Amino acid sequence: MPLLELEDVQARYGPIVALHGVSLTVDEGEVVAILGANGAGKTTTLRAISGMVATSGRIAFAGRPLARASPEGVARLGVAHVPEGRGILTELTVWENLRMGAYMRRGGEVKRDLEQMVDHFPWIEERRNQQAGTLSGGEQQMLALARALVARPKLLMLDEPSLGLAPLIVQELFRVVTRLNEEEGLTVLVVEQNANIALGVSSRAYVLEVGRVAVEGPSEELRTHEGVRRSYLGY
Amino acid sequence: MLPLAFSVSELAQQVVFGLAMGGVYASLALALVLIYRTTRVVNFAQGEMAMFTTFIAWTLTENHGFGFWAAFFVTIGIAFLLGVGVERIVIRPFGHASHLTIILVTIALFVVFNGAAQWIWSPESRAFLGPFSAQPFDVGGIAIARQDLGVIAVTLISVTILWAFFRFTKLGLAMRAAAIGPDQSRLLGVRVPWMYALGWGFAAVLGAVSGMMVAPIVFLSPAMMQAVLIYAFAAAVLGGIESPVGAVVGGLLLGVGTTLLGAYAGVTPELELPIAFVVLVLVLLFRPAGLFGRVIVRRV
Repeated sequence: MPLLELEDVQARYGPIVALHGVSLTVDEGEVVAILGANGAGKTTTLRAISGMVATSGRIAFAGRPLARASPEGVARLGVAHVPEGRGILTELTVWENLRMGAYMRRGGEVKRDLEQMVDHFPWIEERRNQQAGTLSGGEQQMLALARALVARPKLLMLDEPSLGLAPLIVQELFRVVTRLNEEEGLTVLVVEQNANIALGVSSRAYVLEVGRVAVEGPSEELRTHEGVRRSYLGY
Repeated sequence: MLPLAFSVSELAQQVVFGLAMGGVYASLALALVLIYRTTRVVNFAQGEMAMFTTFIAWTLTENHGFGFWAAFFVTIGIAFLLGVGVERIVIRPFGHASHLTIILVTIALFVVFNGAAQWIWSPESRAFLGPFSAQPFDVGGIAIARQDLGVIAVTLISVTILWAFFRFTKLGLAMRAAAIGPDQSRLLGVRVPWMYALGWGFAAVLGAVSGMMVAPIVFLSPAMMQAVLIYAFAAAVLGGIESPVGAVVGGLLLGVGTTLLGAYAGVTPELELPIAFVVLVLVLLFRPAGLFGRVIVRRV
């Protein structure tokens, strides 16, 4: 049974249909990428999973239907969603943002996990009392990732993490994600416009075009796929 | 006698009295700020909710044999439930309505609480015995009213508890997060609508504290919080409607300011309220963010 399963999911914003029947699966321990141009429905797919947009069709997480779930309900099932624009609470401090990641958790290990994030991202310690809105874009993205990880999610969803970031920072970001996937079996669903990066880190990928899955397959194969290469890899 | 020929002792007494009234304004102002920050609602019914809960405290002491402090804490519990209930039952259904609609709803609440209080307890004024004796307290040769010191202490303690709650607890942090970024907070698992209801609950508690502290000074009546509400609005705007610290400082400044103007500048009591209004208008004109209005730094 896949960890996440979407079957013929449609989504609309008022009268505008954004997804015309998307089906996809994510297995436990996988890194799956969703590629596509602007407006293809990548972000809407993640929003549909998180219950942030009205949908029809079937969405199941760990065997449970998510059709009527609220964003907080989905989060409580173990889905960490780092949204477009990172979702940093800009007026709170860096440390308060990180603590919010552990909001749903109780018990002594929370403290240890917070410390562990500081090991991954040492700059957090020096900036812990700084207002999060004053961080650079790269730091905000790292903080958003750290905050999502503190929740110990079963599924991590990243929406365009590379957007507006310098290449070196993007590399660093995906290094952390890859490491957590390999070492701790973290399941990841990542939405990216940058197909090169996305196909590099993922094992499988879906290409969305105007709200539909146009191409899907192992990332290695998509790299050599004629249409994908021409439209998304640019060579 | 020249207005300036006053004694230090009298000045000290006036300042302490001003701080006590200021504490009352500050509590209600903080309630307004709390609700504004969490739900962006300006709650015109805040004062009437406070008055209504103070009447409940009075009933408990008068008809059910409660001591003041027992009634005080029971009333705080009732006020909390009342605040939560008002948000869930009355405000929530208007969730996405315009500001104007919500303002009209809170004005309707004002009328409902006021009418209910008059109906249940009659419009007349009654004595409400506070917990502090009128006996003066000797501080370095200056006689300070125990009542004033008590009111200052109770309001400062409530404000401090609230501050610590928001600063140090997970729930307090989640309430702040829900106010700043509801969508982001929901993705982190925060039940945002409940955070709003809690905000209303805490605000109603602060209002109840303010009502129970002012009732022994001004007499208990359905109209007793109306002037206090104006001062609280002025205090909240003076401090910056977004700033809890500002609301407290604004309340204390206004309390001391109007008391001293009354005592030394020949401002009669009926002029004190218009002065609060003038302060409100001047602040809105010249410094709309208030004294403590923060400029939020953002990088994108």
